[in-house]
Amino acid sequence: MSFLQFAYRNVSRNKRTYAAYFLSSAFSVMIFFVCTLFIFNPGIRESIMYPIVMQTMITAVCVMYLFLFFFVLYSVGSFLASRKHEIGIWLMHGMTKRQLHRMIFLENMLIGTGAVVAGIASGLVTGKLFLMIGSLVFGVPSIPFRLTWEALALTTGAFAVLFLIISMCTSGLLRNLSLIELFQAGRRTKLAPKGSAWLSATAVVLIVAAYGFAATTSVSDLYVRMLPVTAMTVAGTYLLYNHAGVWLVERLQKKRGLFWKKTNIVTLSNLSYRLKDHARMLFMVTIVSTVSFCAVGVSASINTLSEQFHNDYPAAVSYLAKDGNPAEGEHLQSIQRELLAKGLHPRILQFPVKNILVAPEGSGSDPEVLSVISLSSYERAIRMAGLSHGEQPLTGSDALALVSSERDRAFMNARPLAVHAVTGGRLHLKEIGYTRHVAVPEHLLRTDLRQMDGYTSGLVVSDELFGRLESRAGTDRYTAFYVDDFRKTLGVANTLADSGEVRFSENRGFTIAVSGTLYVLQMGAYRAMLFAALLIGTVFFIAAGSFLYFRLYADLDYDRRQYAAMAKLGLTDKELSRIVTRQLALLFFVPIVLAVIHSSFAFIALQSLFYLSIALEMGFVLLCFFAAQVMYFFFIRFHYLRNVRKKLL
Amino acid sequence: MTILDVKYLSKIYEGQVPRQALDNVRFSLRAEEFVGIMGPSGSGKTTLLNVIATIDEPTSGEIRINGVNPHQLGRTETALFRRRELGFVFQQFNLLDAMTVAENIVLPLSLDGVPVGEMEQKLNDIALKLGISDILDRRIYELSGGQMQRTAIARAIIHKPSLILADEPTGNLDSKASDDVMRTLRTLNEEGATILMVTHDPVAASFCKRVIFIKDGRFYNEIYRGDNRQGFFQRIIDMLSLLGGDRRVLSTIRL
Repeated sequence: MSFLQFAYRNVSRNKRTYAAYFLSSAFSVMIFFVCTLFIFNPGIRESIMYPIVMQTMITAVCVMYLFLFFFVLYSVGSFLASRKHEIGIWLMHGMTKRQLHRMIFLENMLIGTGAVVAGIASGLVTGKLFLMIGSLVFGVPSIPFRLTWEALALTTGAFAVLFLIISMCTSGLLRNLSLIELFQAGRRTKLAPKGSAWLSATAVVLIVAAYGFAATTSVSDLYVRMLPVTAMTVAGTYLLYNHAGVWLVERLQKKRGLFWKKTNIVTLSNLSYRLKDHARMLFMVTIVSTVSFCAVGVSASINTLSEQFHNDYPAAVSYLAKDGNPAEGEHLQSIQRELLAKGLHPRILQFPVKNILVAPEGSGSDPEVLSVISLSSYERAIRMAGLSHGEQPLTGSDALALVSSERDRAFMNARPLAVHAVTGGRLHLKEIGYTRHVAVPEHLLRTDLRQMDGYTSGLVVSDELFGRLESRAGTDRYTAFYVDDFRKTLGVANTLADSGEVRFSENRGFTIAVSGTLYVLQMGAYRAMLFAALLIGTVFFIAAGSFLYFRLYADLDYDRRQYAAMAKLGLTDKELSRIVTRQLALLFFVPIVLAVIHSSFAFIALQSLFYLSIALEMGFVLLCFFAAQVMYFFFIRFHYLRNVRKKLL
Repeated sequence: MTILDVKYLSKIYEGQVPRQALDNVRFSLRAEEFVGIMGPSGSGKTTLLNVIATIDEPTSGEIRINGVNPHQLGRTETALFRRRELGFVFQQFNLLDAMTVAENIVLPLSLDGVPVGEMEQKLNDIALKLGISDILDRRIYELSGGQMQRTAIARAIIHKPSLILADEPTGNLDSKASDDVMRTLRTLNEEGATILMVTHDPVAASFCKRVIFIKDGRFYNEIYRGDNRQGFFQRIIDMLSLLGGDRRVLSTIRL
């Protein structure tokens, strides 16, 4: 038996222990490989989606790689910990440290190579399927399956490096272990865990406070609160498992009426005995699951933004000619011609936009540019989009701030209504509220206000006041083409704006927004994010499952002995399966339920960002994950029970 | 009253080379008896005990414990039967190290749903009798071998089983602890417990009232103890040398 054979047999004869780790590594390699297939696919390169696809996929690949690094490191570490006794036997029979390191290295490389090969192979088989899903998601007609050598090389190279580094790191994990320690590791002579009441209380306080902060968060302090709340939750969760859990079980054990009742005596004492071992694993599973729920949930809810698209872009094509642009007539004609060529008969609305200079109230800083439209223009723009207007009539110097996007509506509450002093006159324009709709898409108007943070694109004033205003920064002319189905305008005005939009800041003679093109791009971006988040979320979720699986099978031998001893005393099958079911249910569902609660509060905080409710999307995402976990639970329970029973009587 | 009745028990281990571990073994145990089973290695002692303990199935023949044939019960009933009618003491103790001494002892009662007050009462009685009252709250790994075996004995008798089965109870103990454990078993027997013990150790066997010898799966002989334990021990030794698993260990003629 050569050294390599020795290592190979160590791995191949412990298939069951390594199964979940191997599968989740192979699965991650597969997803990684599929992502690189997207990145290096020549078919996507010509599409208008290319930058979006590239961005999301590269992000996905990076996140996955980083995560995998820690996942593999943790897994390998726990494998070694569970094999101390075996390592002790090797050393006792004269294996040198060098040989031991070589053995561990070889074993890891064997599993790693296997995972990479299996991952790439399954990636090749399922690649076309993913590309088909991708083409649906990104709205690219069809992506040809092209196996590029770059994709292969990147995947193989990246994982070769990863497993190599990890294999070298593990040698460090084995330093300074004396033989006696290695031998005693097998015997379970640990002290009974002790939970500190103080730290348990701290855990509860931290989590409750974090939930409180999350629930009461508003747009303005979302970004300030995000980090501390996350840190509090993570710390709280850690203490919850390490102390509050142990403490709670201790309390329960003091209540003999409950503790000594039927199978509780077995369940509870096992629980207290294992909890310290399991605490770290449960903590990791909780955090990893929470991250994956949040990632998928957020991406899913971003899709609700597409429902507000029509509100953000009321006209099919919006065009604004800057003051005195000679090309205006020509542009408008070509747009109309293109629309007609597509069989669309546009209704056209045109109104002037006055750009005035204002000084913000109370400060003597430089004048700022503010775009103003008249109330009647606003009402016509809204009516033609088929939306109900119903704004209150404006009088005197009252003005409505023009909402630039529905997306920003949540921020409106945080922004105080302003009063603008018009330069070169006594006139003060006083905002009395916000328009109910977006009349002109964002980025089209000239408005350049520092204090408004870009949340409004201008003002609406009464027709009478509009007439009196002096447009010191020029008068632009806005033209809107309304059609019945704006989606059909995809590709209109390609020559003017190839990505569907020319913003004011681009310093051309005009600005334009083509809804059809923008819609496709935006939807594509959202769907790409969701797609990537789903891939990453699945990888995370499966990794969490593999942590559980590993812990379970590391303890299987001990459990079997324990159940065999109890069976001799007279443990019925029903009692056995009740004990096992309870124990597994705790392992499987405590972290998931906690993760669901954590992410629910994260979603509540996020809701403040959204104009539409995201509860439905979130509920759906959480339900799917929960259902997957339930299936996993029953699968594992079945196999575990069968395994435990095999050696009974 | 007959507690255990073993009738023409045979056990054949299937396999590529079938092996007959038990061959028409027949004996019975009356209430309040303390019987040892001895024989050379591979003579079928442990198989016999396992079949009686319902851990193993006989190939033919039957056993009756209190008139019931446990091998005809369903899986669940067998478990309940073991839990209520039998008490086990093992060489490896088979204690659960996730639990304290007290929890290990009350386990059979807990599983049977006995009220906590009654459990505590019985626990204290037994702990007092076995001299382990002061270690009830300890964990298993903090105990010495003798303490572990006494805990196991406490667990085996707390539910007042009709038959206590002991498999090499002194196998893992030093002579002092062995002596302790055997004295405990003898006291229990004197108080009315029926005990069947498999052992290798002639000293341990000399505590029994009767010793059954088996060889190659067959009933070989049995001897009764008189009043003199020392003499009984001598007769056991003689019988063992007669059995002679390996003749070089003990000469047949003792001077």
